[in-house]
Amino acid sequence: MLSPKRTKYRKAHKGRVHGNATRGTVLNFGAYGLKATAPGRVTARQIEAARRAITRHLKRAGRIWIRIFPDVPVSTKPTEVRMGKGKGSPEYWMCRVKPGRIMFEVDGVAPLLAKAAIARGAAKLPMATRFIAREEA
Amino acid sequence: MTEVSELAVEARDGTGKGAARAVRRGGRVPAVIYGDKKAPISISIDRVKLRHELKRPGFRRRLYDLRINGLAERVLPRAVQRHPVSDEPLHVDFLRVGAGAEISVNVAVVFVNEELSPGLKRGGVLNIVRHEIEVVCPATAIPESFIIDLEGLEIGDGVHISQVTLPENVVPTITDRDFTIATVAAPTVVRDEAAAAAEAAEEEEIEGEEAVEGEVAEEAAEEGASEEQGEQD
Repeated sequence: MLSPKRTKYRKAHKGRVHGNATRGTVLNFGAYGLKATAPGRVTARQIEAARRAITRHLKRAGRIWIRIFPDVPVSTKPTEVRMGKGKGSPEYWMCRVKPGRIMFEVDGVAPLLAKAAIARGAAKLPMATRFIAREEA
Repeated sequence: MTEVSELAVEARDGTGKGAARAVRRGGRVPAVIYGDKKAPISISIDRVKLRHELKRPGFRRRLYDLRINGLAERVLPRAVQRHPVSDEPLHVDFLRVGAGAEISVNVAVVFVNEELSPGLKRGGVLNIVRHEIEVVCPATAIPESFIIDLEGLEIGDGVHISQVTLPENVVPTITDRDFTIATVAAPTVVRDEAAAAAEAAEEEEIEGEEAVEGEVAEEAAEEGASEEQGEQD
């Protein structure tokens, strides 16, 4: 799963996802992509699940790019612990995704196969998404 | 010869986000015409007609004759701003094209004869490094596309700009190196019989996980190993 090699601080604030993405909103590598149309937090586990779903449907043909990186640590408190006594320990990594962000790109396969594969990947993600294809310049 | 189309436009009053939003509320898209050492003109285009033009391939390579207040302007679309989520056009930039003007423009690359490439037949992947090539050419002679023949390409071979026959007066903007347009990358399928076996084992593990709770630690270790394998997919 994706995670930072090292971080400046161990724990982060929860944060909120406001507004639309201004960067990473157009296809840069592949001919097809998956764009978020709603805000959300995507965990490293979800990214990996989506990547596997796409790769397996493509039968390892073509190429896939991941355009998001989970660099925000999420902490949780142990079960049956009363509130207070400090913040919990970091458990997993997530990234905040704004609407408009391209999360995955695919290339080197037929359009219908790419669409089906990306739909399977989208099913693993926690927000509404849209399949997009490169328009000829 | 570059195709010339016509597009109905209207001059618009006012600039800035307030005026632009008012135009958008009226079902039109704000746009601007600039260049050729003349003053810029603010215009608007019907959203449906613009959408139709954008759907036709080669919008940014096509010259347009825009008629504003009885005067015709020959322009080339330079940029289309789009909404980040809906991808609806928000604004269009048109560059005025004077007589004998030379412009830099992105031309699409089209790949042909994929079935005649032994590398692709053997399961290689066509890795397109550049979907478009930026070239400098006369505005009246913008190439429609660059056709790249993949015949005879083996795994590991690449196509570079020096292998592309460019029309007369068309020069790539990158001249300091022989840049790559596409390569035929090695397939990932070949090495992955071992990975497939690992995956099958992993699926069995997941089934077993539901049944046997005592082996959690062992499975976690194995899962970690299979994930590493999966990352190579």
